[in-house]
Amino acid sequence: MARRWGMVIDLDRCTGCEACVAACHAENNIATVGDAEAARGRAIHWIRVERYWEGEYPNVRVMFRPIPCQQCDAAPCEPVCPTYASYHNADGLNAQVYNRCIGTRYCANACPYTVRYFNWFNPVWDKPLNLQLNPDVSVREAAVMEKCTFCIQRIKAAEIKSEMEKREIKDGEFSPACVQSCPAGAMVFGDLDNPDSIVSRLSLSVRGTQLLSEVGTYPKVTYLERESSRGDE
Amino acid sequence: MATNSIAQTNAVRLNDDRISQDLLRPVFHTSRRFYAIALLLAVPVAAALAAFLYQVYSGIGVAGITRPVFWGFYITNFVFWIGISHAGTLISAILRLTNAGWRRPVTRCAEAITVFALVIGASFPVIHLGRPWLFFWLIPYPSERGIWPNFRSPLLWDFFAISTYITGSLTFLLLPIIPDWAMVRDKASGWRKRIYTVLALGWRGTPREWHRLEMAMRIMAVAIIPVAVSVHTIVSWDFAMAPVPMWHSTVFGPYFVAGAIFSGIAALIIAMAFLRKFLHLEEYLKPIHFDNLGKLLLLMSLLWIYFIFAERLTVWYGNETSEMSAFWSIQRGKFAILFWIMVFCNFLIPFPILAIKKLRTITGTVIASITVVIGMWLERFLIIVPPLEHKYLPYAWGNYRPTWVEITITVGTFFAMALLYLLFVKFVPIISMWELKAGQHVQPLSHEPDPALSQANADLNNSLPVTDSEA
Amino acid sequence: MNAIYGLFSDPDSAGQALKVLRAASSRGHINVDGIVVISSEPLEDEDLGLPKQRTPMPWLAALGGLIGGSIGYALATFTQRTYPLPTGGMPIVALWPTGIVMYELTMLGAILATLATFLVTARLPNYRKRLYDPEISDGKILIGVADPDRNYCAELKRQLHQEGAEKVKEFSNG
Repeated sequence: MARRWGMVIDLDRCTGCEACVAACHAENNIATVGDAEAARGRAIHWIRVERYWEGEYPNVRVMFRPIPCQQCDAAPCEPVCPTYASYHNADGLNAQVYNRCIGTRYCANACPYTVRYFNWFNPVWDKPLNLQLNPDVSVREAAVMEKCTFCIQRIKAAEIKSEMEKREIKDGEFSPACVQSCPAGAMVFGDLDNPDSIVSRLSLSVRGTQLLSEVGTYPKVTYLERESSRGDE
Repeated sequence: MATNSIAQTNAVRLNDDRISQDLLRPVFHTSRRFYAIALLLAVPVAAALAAFLYQVYSGIGVAGITRPVFWGFYITNFVFWIGISHAGTLISAILRLTNAGWRRPVTRCAEAITVFALVIGASFPVIHLGRPWLFFWLIPYPSERGIWPNFRSPLLWDFFAISTYITGSLTFLLLPIIPDWAMVRDKASGWRKRIYTVLALGWRGTPREWHRLEMAMRIMAVAIIPVAVSVHTIVSWDFAMAPVPMWHSTVFGPYFVAGAIFSGIAALIIAMAFLRKFLHLEEYLKPIHFDNLGKLLLLMSLLWIYFIFAERLTVWYGNETSEMSAFWSIQRGKFAILFWIMVFCNFLIPFPILAIKKLRTITGTVIASITVVIGMWLERFLIIVPPLEHKYLPYAWGNYRPTWVEITITVGTFFAMALLYLLFVKFVPIISMWELKAGQHVQPLSHEPDPALSQANADLNNSLPVTDSEA
Repeated sequence: MNAIYGLFSDPDSAGQALKVLRAASSRGHINVDGIVVISSEPLEDEDLGLPKQRTPMPWLAALGGLIGGSIGYALATFTQRTYPLPTGGMPIVALWPTGIVMYELTMLGAILATLATFLVTARLPNYRKRLYDPEISDGKILIGVADPDRNYCAELKRQLHQEGAEKVKEFSNG
């Protein structure tokens, strides 16, 4: 059964703690690139938390926005890949096939959210960190593009389990690492095509917005704007 | 006008033997200076090759490209060299089709530039790949992976367009060389005779062979023009198809083609000036040729400023937030100095030089051409990098700084072009001998010599330095 | 194959000699198909009195283009349908990109067809020893007769000399 996996992120609840970022690193075998490379802007964070300041002192407010891959329904990164390394799979995800990637980096230019990250060198884990790699996720080599997959390994695992047990996947049965680790419960994940799921109900919220919707990408991540900001002029 | 230009070309009617002698000299005699220059040119090329191999070995990270500027010098060079390759098409094909007599000494120089610029330009998509050893996955073949390339990707269109253009340009270049290679074969001895006998394909010069050759050239001239236009349009669509602020512009197709022809003519003028000096071709590449090409360069410079103005005005007037951040970074921000150098080099300097007849000399056009080449390279750079530095989300803005790897490879390709050209001049007469001689004998066989033509010739041979009465 | 030919230094005298040879052929002394003209530049066929050359090259180039375009269409549609991978909300066989690929392959087909037709109809490459004289590269025009009637050879040589041939030679690749 085809699903449309989506996410809702409540900006009122997000505290900017970046637990999601750390969990993503751990779950998906994302290496740290080191000081020098990070200074050149090459750090890899499949989900990143953007921080914006509003107002002047003393009325300063800070806003955090976690940005994973938006898994756009009309993703501009997909048609431009010459080797189909980036394509739309049956579950509505923007799938990244590492083996097909030859490193043209066109997809990264085309992504308006800049959520695609490139392995400029072979990733390195200093011992003993190499022992904590997740066996469910491949380790990418140099010159391959990578990005948030909505933890497709967990999606596949849940699908396999539900098929073996001959039942439907329950809403909330599993979630990507970022959603699972959020202490404030700011992130919700589920099947947007299931009218009873929490995520599909929340995505219809009055507070719901989408990032860069004017670009025409039809992202599947809905942000719930802060209640407090909606009341202001 | 045809009479005028043919007469001017023939103002010093050269003896056929003299033509053969002058134009075959570089093929038969190799001076020590040639070897010295070849060696000098080979050093930066070798350095570039070494830098590329180092990049393949260590990883593409040794280049300066980063997130979010995923394309930098390499793609700049790619677009730049494909642009330069439009020299040959314009000169050869369009001037052949319009029967412009002054093209004869110029066509082969131009066609050679096209082929070598294409070879260099087409190597950059491979150089910039993260995994260049897998570049062949762009070729549509039934692969063991059971998958075909994605025809919806502009990079695939690039592949087809450039392949077609290289095939067309090579054909366009090599077909008219066959009779000249036959001439070299006849005059050569020893190992040279063996090589050129093979290369000349057994050409004799029967009416059948000439007819087929001229028919093929006519078809090629018609076919190569739409190919050239499509090639650079498709290259421009690598950018225009992506939703990047200041890339996603409908004007990119014609804008790039105009820029390509612009830089192509400039490269041609520079090449011709070098040939004239080093091969002593003063009798063949005359001031009138540089004058005519200079006028074309002027036209393209005006066209370029028109496109730049149209593009920037629409962006500024539209005032779209993301586009304006890229716009201002070019206009007033850190790229401002490059922007103004570009405007100077592409318009403010060439325009007076090329517009004022007195300044449109060989030296003048060469100076203008050099500035145009610099300006066009900067233009490609400013199209690619600043918009990538300023995409939609300010948190993801970044900086690009090229490393020695990219600089070495970039510099190396300019020397590679010179080296390839040098080797070409060694093996092929750089001016098409049969076309030049045929152009001098414009009268048909059994008719009386055209009295107007002879009068014009007599007038010109008697008069002072040639002036173009239509200027 | 034997041949007798003369080398002429300008197109006018060559044209004259050709006229004489054609007159001789109409009187049956030589075979009109044996008359050979070789030059280092293209000469105007009508003025030489040679039959106007015809070639199907433009038609074949158009045919090549058609074939190329069909291959482009087949390639784009067939390959994309065998392994349909949706991208960016576009259809599997998107018309515009398919059109671009078709266009490029059309032009490639036309170019390759022209090249192939040229080589075949000009009968190149041909490395066999054929009637030729290196002096042609010095601008001489060769007018000759292949396999002339043995009784007519002396007369032929006289006629070539009379029309202004700089040299009259014999050729044999036997």
